[in-house]
Amino acid sequence: MTHADTRARYDELVQPERVHGSLYTSPEVFADELARIWYSTWVYVGHVSEVAKPNDYVRKAIGPQDVIMSRSADGEVHLLLNRCAHRGNLVCEAAAGNSSSFRCAYHGWTYRNSGELVGYPFHQGYGGRGKLDLGLGRVPRVAVHQGFVFGSFAPDGPSLAEHLGDAAGEIDRLVRLSPEGEIELTAGWLQHRARANWKLLAENETDGYHPQFVHASIFSVAESGIGALYGEKSSAVTRAFGHGHSENDLRPEFRRLGAPLGWFGTTEERMPGYVAAMRAAHGEAAQEILVEGAPHVMIFPNLFIAEIQMFTIQPLAHDVTVQHVTAVQLKGAPEMNRRMLQQCVGSVGPAGLLLADDTEMYERNQVGLGELRPEWVDVRRGSHREHVDERGHTVGGATDETAMRGFWAHYRELMTR
Amino acid sequence: MGGGVGDGVVGNEFADVAVRVDTTANSPRLRLEDLRTGRVRFLDALELETLVWLPEGHLVQLLDPSADRWSGA
Repeated sequence: MTHADTRARYDELVQPERVHGSLYTSPEVFADELARIWYSTWVYVGHVSEVAKPNDYVRKAIGPQDVIMSRSADGEVHLLLNRCAHRGNLVCEAAAGNSSSFRCAYHGWTYRNSGELVGYPFHQGYGGRGKLDLGLGRVPRVAVHQGFVFGSFAPDGPSLAEHLGDAAGEIDRLVRLSPEGEIELTAGWLQHRARANWKLLAENETDGYHPQFVHASIFSVAESGIGALYGEKSSAVTRAFGHGHSENDLRPEFRRLGAPLGWFGTTEERMPGYVAAMRAAHGEAAQEILVEGAPHVMIFPNLFIAEIQMFTIQPLAHDVTVQHVTAVQLKGAPEMNRRMLQQCVGSVGPAGLLLADDTEMYERNQVGLGELRPEWVDVRRGSHREHVDERGHTVGGATDETAMRGFWAHYRELMTR
Repeated sequence: MGGGVGDGVVGNEFADVAVRVDTTANSPRLRLEDLRTGRVRFLDALELETLVWLPEGHLVQLLDPSADRWSGA
């Protein structure tokens, strides 16, 4: 099939209010997605706090690509491909470490942590020392926003700022919850493997229609008011930012309640040190920040910030996806950090209830989507009651599928390019 | 300071260097501190292994005071 043929095919398979089930179940579609989305657009890779010291490195991923995020001695962050330029062996096996250089276990070829080839054993076989101009592969473009490191395999194209658009402001909202204006992703990562297509996860992250059903038991046990935020009477909204990004904006509800830290299910009195530090750092603006809380935003295609925890979505096959999870840590806020860690483990840890609930749904969806009839998946909910806000973003109700439609519109644009 | 006898200090009449294993990075590093100037250098495992294998002649070249420290450049 030619590129033009597949372009026409995706034009047909993605429609404004429905998408074809084969988009979730076809290995050929997944191969096209790797080329046209994962290896073309900006993808979130890691956070600078994970390579805090010179010569620190961590293994990350862009889809199935094994990426080393390193910080060289001069402080620069690099995204390198984990493949020796000689025979393709992995140069880096550990999940994290500190080293100025990487040495391939196969033939001893050694590279600086910035990717340059240092040397190779028995150099006479290559005509002498320094005769080869080979280095590690690199992600052609690397850009950082508020410590969030993104990479793009496309050497040219929109800048990260253009890609993020107003969704960047949601990352800023998270960061301003730190009295020192920085977050740290140092709590460690959990990995959850789901037998499901990556798009089911991305769509679900800002689907406000499911929480009251899928998460009913945890809301009940925890006596949580979160469920009510996702109801027909909620003043919360779902917003599509463009470029596939979306959010559940819960601020209208939190503003109505007007309670600092209400979004976190606690009070000022229980977090005196944090509140004092925030008021010292932000002055009068602290009240609004503490009331409005953290964002609930999905950054296309793989970064999900869910208030107190962060997820990255890693697709490995059309029906295999790994979800990486960590607790957000706010620099200068030990009281909050301890609690965020506990809540993260309780909700999305190995025995956590929220992620187990969702994963069960992803896997049931994947099985169901393999059925032959009906062929289409419906995403029309709330399309008749959307409006465009003052910044030009489409806004729907708390339970509407506005975010999904925004996701698919961008998907279609990338897949038919 | 000459003589530098004590835990974690390698010293003699010419130099005093505090030595300890630092664990603040993503894996252990050797932290070396020139106690006379306060200058600090970290060496990772691969660099240390390289030092172990450094031929005596190469090490002597590094000891040349004009090689790096007082190059006059």
